[in-house]
Amino acid sequence: MKRSHLLSAVLTLCLAVPALAFAAPSVKVGNILPLSGPSASVGLQAKQAREMAIEEINGAGGIKSLGGAKIELLYADSKSDPNVGVTEAERFINTEKVHLLAGAWNSGVTYPTTAVAERYGIPYIVPVSVRDTITERGFKNVFRIAAKDSWWTRDQFTFLKDMQQEFGGTLSTVAFVYENGDWGTGFAAQWKELVKSSGMQVVLDEPYSSSATDLTPLVNKIRRAKPDVLLLVSNAADAILLTNTLADYKVSPKVILGSGGGHADPTFISACGANARYVFDIVEWETDVNKPGAREANEKYRAKYGTNLTGEAVDAYVAMYVMADALERAGSLDPAAIRKALAETDYKSGPGMIVTYDAIKFDESGQNRNAALSIVQINDLGKGLERITVWPKAARRAGYTPVFPMPAK
Amino acid sequence: MDPVFLAQDCINGVLMGLIYGLVALGLTLIFGVLKVINFAHGSFLMVGMYVAYWAVTLSGLSPYPALVIIVPAMFLFGYWVQHLLIRPIFIAEKNVREPITVIIVTTGLWYVLDNLALLVFGPDYRALNPNPLKGQMLEMGEIIVSVPKLYGALATLATAGGLHLFLQHTRLGRAVRATSLDREAASLMGIGQWKIFNIAFGIGTAVAGISGAVLTPFYNVYPTVGIPFDIKSFVIVVLGGLGSIWGALVGGVIIGLIESIGPNFMTSTWTEGIVYALFLLVLFVKPSGLFGQKQDW
Repeated sequence: MKRSHLLSAVLTLCLAVPALAFAAPSVKVGNILPLSGPSASVGLQAKQAREMAIEEINGAGGIKSLGGAKIELLYADSKSDPNVGVTEAERFINTEKVHLLAGAWNSGVTYPTTAVAERYGIPYIVPVSVRDTITERGFKNVFRIAAKDSWWTRDQFTFLKDMQQEFGGTLSTVAFVYENGDWGTGFAAQWKELVKSSGMQVVLDEPYSSSATDLTPLVNKIRRAKPDVLLLVSNAADAILLTNTLADYKVSPKVILGSGGGHADPTFISACGANARYVFDIVEWETDVNKPGAREANEKYRAKYGTNLTGEAVDAYVAMYVMADALERAGSLDPAAIRKALAETDYKSGPGMIVTYDAIKFDESGQNRNAALSIVQINDLGKGLERITVWPKAARRAGYTPVFPMPAK
Repeated sequence: MDPVFLAQDCINGVLMGLIYGLVALGLTLIFGVLKVINFAHGSFLMVGMYVAYWAVTLSGLSPYPALVIIVPAMFLFGYWVQHLLIRPIFIAEKNVREPITVIIVTTGLWYVLDNLALLVFGPDYRALNPNPLKGQMLEMGEIIVSVPKLYGALATLATAGGLHLFLQHTRLGRAVRATSLDREAASLMGIGQWKIFNIAFGIGTAVAGISGAVLTPFYNVYPTVGIPFDIKSFVIVVLGGLGSIWGALVGGVIIGLIESIGPNFMTSTWTEGIVYALFLLVLFVKPSGLFGQKQDW
């Protein structure tokens, strides 16, 4: 009996000591990300970008108006599953008592988890998740850094129009091929609207499952439809498999245009090799962007994690600075005060501001009104395959002429 | 429907279906002998793919010659997993023929292996490099046949044939079959049950290794790569009959053909619906599967 008393005393002590050590004030941020499953690779980038930013912020003295409070990042793995996401959001708010939430990359997870945050009045920063409706439900606590997907699809069609004007040739048929989640079907719904005024005819409209073990049947369908333009929404594993299978079966549309995501994944180029050449992709950010601090941030990131920053990683990185800026101005950990400060954000310069546009500013709905997009082409200019900014024309890399249409295979 | 299209789709369906059958083969073998479902089978495939990836990357061999490294490595892995993890459960639950705990343990193993791979190799999608089979296609007019898949289908037939010969015509193979039919009677005849279990598990895992070598030339390797194949394998095994080698191949081909021909008539995502409907139908009408032996309980 006596021994078990001693044991429990020792145990209590063991538990109590670390609790004391962590008593210093900290801002807890709950991050919901796909850290396993088909999107684990983008989830990891989002995590790394957050960690790099928070290391810098904490290293520079934390949040000064809160007595140098450090930001503490907590993570939950959504596995890309909305149900898991909701459970984790509840756990973060009720058990972990986080001050802010951030996430969740997959629109399908962000949509319900932001609703949980809204119910509890906890500010929720969405670095990336493109589904329009995330900021169109009249929520007060949701702040999105990335562009909405309607802006992405709008720019994809403008790009196609501009390219025809600049280089001649006509694009008369288009195929829509997209992953069958929220993201892909959301894009496709807008493509179907936009195509009406584009003069192009839809020859294929085909959702597919990102976890498909064989995409040959899909590729054969594309081959038979013979589209001029192939518009894609793909996650990482399927973007690679699709690009390789398209090349294997010698499918040669005039334009293959991705929608970020899998096509922007750093492993996409290395895993596809020459098959990825001439593919176009829409992005928010590219390493050749001309912005102070951008190159340094990219080099630091690459030295730390071995890959370049992606547009999505940059959104996550900047989101942490926007959050720190808001906390600094709020000077309080009260969710309402943080919310108010976030809504008043006008982040123009300073560390972390490496996006292509001038200021991060949220509109009434919590959408970053300035978020802008550009289009890149994957090509080899003698130094291996790289992503080269081609559109808008003003942002095109000096001296580069886009290859349009794609040479037939 | 254009006959050329149909021919193209049938060829792809049969080739891919045989490869699905190969993946399911390991699962069906282990079930046939131990009478338990190995829930970690998809992870074994993932391990097989990483072993194949590294064997090729480090030795510079082509994936098929690299089988001389992959098969023994995977056999030993399976052998010891059974010996160290599964056997103690059979011993602890002596009175139970199919201890349910095995499902829990193998599910645990699945999570451990997938997360271990995530930890060690990161979430990156890896493509084989060098990959002499990459983009190799046979072109016959409009019909294009993938060479790596053709090799994979041949490897499947060779593996199934080899296993068939082994089980039917060798002393050890007979011992495996005897244990599968009635493990107590087999023990009484002097067959070492645990050794046979270890060997059967080892062979099942080695087949997952062969699947890894077959898949890596045209499929990316990543930590959760086993999951989509895993679910498919369960369907195939039930369709073909639990424990039946040829059933697994036939089941695989049926699914391959549905997946390949179906999209001509519907959106490709709907073919999955047909596969699962068929799965349910078989469970209702002929639970032992197309080629399943009458169970001995």
